[in-house]
Amino acid sequence: MHDHLPPGVELVKADEFTEWLMDIKVLDDNPLYRNEVYRLKFRFPNSYPIEAPEVVFVKDDTHPIPWHPHIYSNGIICLDLLDRQGWSPVHNVESVCVSLQSMLTGNTKKERPPGDENFVKYNTQRPRDINFLFHDNSV
Amino acid sequence: MKVIIKQWNAVAAWRWDMPDDDVCGICRNPYDSTCSKCKFPGDECPLLLGECNHSFHMHCIFSWLRQESSQEKCPMCRQPFKGKAQETTRSTAQDDESILPS
Repeated sequence: MHDHLPPGVELVKADEFTEWLMDIKVLDDNPLYRNEVYRLKFRFPNSYPIEAPEVVFVKDDTHPIPWHPHIYSNGIICLDLLDRQGWSPVHNVESVCVSLQSMLTGNTKKERPPGDENFVKYNTQRPRDINFLFHDNSV
Repeated sequence: MKVIIKQWNAVAAWRWDMPDDDVCGICRNPYDSTCSKCKFPGDECPLLLGECNHSFHMHCIFSWLRQESSQEKCPMCRQPFKGKAQETTRSTAQDDESILPS
């Protein structure tokens, strides 16, 4: 996999089949994301790829959570392809990373989803169990 | 000179009639190899071609189609997934018609 990763996507850790870390960069000049690297955590269910992986951004000293109206400040991502209804087993780690790169590239709003503060404070559900409502087809 | 063959061992190779480098889009194993659950390739772990012309290991596509969220759609093109009648089955069907009394 190391040999042919798309530009701006890097494998950080893939020690076992349950959890991987990937770093992504946005390659164009979008000022919201310039010079930043974001870290993604993939968790694979036993039935992967029949079922979607759980994918979240993780925050540490060198990796912020990117601004986006569909990314909560705790790293949880609202994207249809990661949801039960939008997932397809022909997706893979690489295609998910590229989709997230493109989701960021196209964004111009330095915003969090509505209700971010409450969600981050009170949500106890795993991302895969949250029923997101997909109403915005512009991203 | 007369040669008497006492014993011989035949060795044969087989492959599915598919493009060389292709892998199953679900398990990412080559078509000529097995799905992620089988041990032996071949008739035990066959391929299934859809009407949309996308093919997968039969076990892979079946485990997807069993999921409610698949809505029985092809993972590649999201059209309803239906197995395509293969050439051989089609020609047999034609033969059947020709023997019907006219």
